[in-house]
Amino acid sequence: MLEVSDLCKRFGALEVTKNVSMRLEKGERRVILGPNGAGKTTLFNQLVGEIIPDSGSIKVNGQEVGDWSVEKRARFGLSRSYQQNTLFDGITIGESLGLAAAVSTSKSMWFWKDSLQDADVKAIVRDTAEQVGLEDNLGARVSDVSYGIRRQLEVGLALATRPSVLLMDEPTSGVGPEMIGAFHRLLGRLSRELTIVIIEHDMDLAFDVADSMTVLNYGEVVFEGTPGEARESEMLQQIYLGAWDDA
Amino acid sequence: MFYQTPLRTAVLLLFTLACIYAAFTAEYFGVEILTEIIILAMIVLALDLVAGFGGMVSLCHGALAGVGAYIFAIFTAKLGLHPLLAMGIAALITGAVSWVIGTICSKTHGIYFIMATLAFGQMAYSFVFESSYLGGDNGMAGIPRLDLSMIGIDLFDSKQFALLCLACLLVAYLFAWRILTSGLGRSLVGIMHNEKRSRALGQNVVQIKAQVFALSGLILGLAGSLSAQHIMFISPNLLSWTHSGEALVIVILGGLGTLIGPIIGAAAFVLLKHEVSNYTDHWHLIVGIILIIVVMAGARGIYGEIEHRIAKRCAKRVQKEQAPKQAKEKTKEHSLSHAGLKKEH
Ligand SMILES: Nc1ncnc2c1ncn2[C@@H]1O[C@H](COP(=O)(O)OP(=O)(O)O)[C@@H](O)[C@H]1O
Ligand SMILES: [Mg+2]
Repeated sequence: MLEVSDLCKRFGALEVTKNVSMRLEKGERRVILGPNGAGKTTLFNQLVGEIIPDSGSIKVNGQEVGDWSVEKRARFGLSRSYQQNTLFDGITIGESLGLAAAVSTSKSMWFWKDSLQDADVKAIVRDTAEQVGLEDNLGARVSDVSYGIRRQLEVGLALATRPSVLLMDEPTSGVGPEMIGAFHRLLGRLSRELTIVIIEHDMDLAFDVADSMTVLNYGEVVFEGTPGEARESEMLQQIYLGAWDDA
Repeated sequence: MFYQTPLRTAVLLLFTLACIYAAFTAEYFGVEILTEIIILAMIVLALDLVAGFGGMVSLCHGALAGVGAYIFAIFTAKLGLHPLLAMGIAALITGAVSWVIGTICSKTHGIYFIMATLAFGQMAYSFVFESSYLGGDNGMAGIPRLDLSMIGIDLFDSKQFALLCLACLLVAYLFAWRILTSGLGRSLVGIMHNEKRSRALGQNVVQIKAQVFALSGLILGLAGSLSAQHIMFISPNLLSWTHSGEALVIVILGGLGTLIGPIIGAAAFVLLKHEVSNYTDHWHLIVGIILIIVVMAGARGIYGEIEHRIAKRCAKRVQKEQAPKQAKEKTKEHSLSHAGLKKEH
């Protein structure tokens, strides 16, 4: 479903992505681990087209998307959430989800009719809000709500585009244990058809949801395997300096 | 997001009634000022559509209206087409020109967008200025007005012409309203609030911006052909960048991103200009001071400030009513939007 081959990117002297390859089957859930600065976010940025890699190829569902624009890849079903909230601050949560849903239902360029009043769009907004636990906040302005709610919206926006490949960049960063639990349950309810890549620091969550794991260090894939294999790996224990004990 | 709130409708109705009243009661010179206000209102409405809802701060909207005026003049005075047809052509061609400008400029942001639009405006200005076919800096005279005598309307009567312009302004408002509450307009507002995220959601940012810029151009073409008919003479001065700058000042003065605000701004601006220039030549100074006050006071503009205060008051009232309830369910976050009146971009 998602196939990355020999991706390379440097920022000046810094090799932030070194020959990264990975292959995900449809419905696979991959967790990407790695210390801060390992190049995880930069990898996502290249997958969605926000950063152009120096070399390598990116295929979604067999289609080479490497020279496509961000928006074209998104419409093709590649959706992402951001590590740093990237939201529509001046409008409401319901409107934000509506904008995303309008794209997935091809109503975002409607000339004469209101996309936000469309029945299909509204249905997606309702479903997504329910999925990420925002039903009671649809009328609230994004800039007025708490960080936790904004974090939920961050994932909600990515989901409302009805993607086939979903990339989530540290969705639980900065939120408390109960929201990590809620996110865990959300993943449990998501369709098994959806191919998911998650960058995650919470080890419990990571080991629980992953079908497979990729570990990046200094831009390089240093491990790829099942969660079981990851647990056994001594090298990973070293990289994480005992963080494993929590898992 | 744009919503046509009851307050906005009320202000639009009041403005319309005031114009009609003025058309029937004012003397000749007063009616001329009224027409000036209405045509200017169309231009700033078109500017608010792109600047207030798309973040596209255009410095060529005045010039584009001038393009509309020249196209109308060419198709009537030079080619002898029926003025009604020429008005349609002027709107369409100005829309098409705007689409091209919008497509190119939408790839830039902030100050570069402003400069790029300014450059296009200046290009249009010098083209007209240097074209001998278009009369160069002498301009073009002998521009006819629409003939509606068939249905008993005499547009050489300044009152009736003012009312025609008013009708066009209302059509333009309804049009802008429709666009802003369409999928396209919603997407545009999303882009203004976060272009990066809009892209990540799959929005075709350049296309959306360019299309709304083109639709804004349709209004400008219509406004331009009305201004050509109003004076029945046009000169390159119409395309001067100062008109575009003035339009921007008016949008901010009236209330950026409110659609009705800039219309009020246009009335305030023109009235102020004529009133103050009775006493002093330095009316620009007065406008400048008022603009600074508006910007310092929160940059909401005349209408925006009114809307803001009413929304605040409503929010307070709602909060008071809900205070006992809220004690019970503290967790529920309260949102201003319940007031339904606050400034909705
Ligand atoms: N646009 C950029 N220009 C230069 N360096 C960058 C840029 N983006 C990221 N980096 C650097 O690349 C490295 C990897 O960053 P990032 O992908 O954000 O890491 P991670 O998400 O794994 O924490 C960091 O050292 C960061 O400073
Ligand atoms: Mg990161």
